Amino acid sequence: MKSRITFALAVVGLTAMIASPPYAADPLSDVEIAHAAYTADDLDIAYAKIALEKSKTSAIREFAELMVKDHTAANQAALALVKKLGVTPKDNAFSQALVKNGEAKKAELRGLSGAAFDKAYAQNELAYHQVVVKTVAEQWIPTIQNAEFKKFMTDANEIFRVHQAHAQHMVDGLK
Amino acid sequence: MGILLPVSGVVPLAFALALAVCASAGASARTIDVVIEHFAFMPAQIEVMPGDAIVFTNRDITPHTATATDGSWTTKDIASGKSEAIVIPAKGDGAYFCKYHPVMKGRLTIKPP
Repeated sequence: MKSRITFALAVVGLTAMIASPPYAADPLSDVEIAHAAYTADDLDIAYAKIALEKSKTSAIREFAELMVKDHTAANQAALALVKKLGVTPKDNAFSQALVKNGEAKKAELRGLSGAAFDKAYAQNELAYHQVVVKTVAEQWIPTIQNAEFKKFMTDANEIFRVHQAHAQHMVDGLK
Repeated sequence: MGILLPVSGVVPLAFALALAVCASAGASARTIDVVIEHFAFMPAQIEVMPGDAIVFTNRDITPHTATATDGSWTTKDIASGKSEAIVIPAKGDGAYFCKYHPVMKGRLTIKPP
């Protein structure tokens, strides 16, 4: 599991984002994936809120507003599903690594301003969504046991793919 | 501009559509369903006449809109599992998109009555 996730991160040069986390040897369980997915959504909402505080660039602000809207909707749907299924998302090493490294990224973003902030936010969004799309598609969906949850994550990954394309457009627009 | 009908749920939707369609186009107007799923309008292209109603139903997780490219009409935000309807205006380019996810595009071919 560790090597597969590390590979996914290395693809976009984000290996340092999650440095040596104590991953379990086995794939994440459904409830652990649910927790990690919710955490990843929450983290992207946090990045977006920083962007809305700091950026005056319309393309950045529009993207950030979309991230708040879409990831909030995804998390609301996820909560509704776990309630329906009667399960409780379980904290895990992946979620903890996301939180830890997310705090570092948020601090980095808060330390920037103007064009430097816009560039850093846009590039992080592109890289983040690339990692998420790949991780969900290649690591999580194949191992999810519950059919309804598998469909949910498949649908959610469509959102992330659209965001990835949008983020690429945003990055290209800043060059 | 099309008549925007902010509706949700089957009964109020049917009621609102009945009122709007009767008021704008008479008994021959049709109601056409367009499903939003997998970040696409389905069907993506439809032939309509002024006064026809289109009901957009969102089966995705995220909110979407159906918004005319020429700005002549738009739905409100369509939440997951909800529907919004418009009545086709007499004129218009017919191209539309989701204002949040512009990659999503549809086209209405508006024929004369």
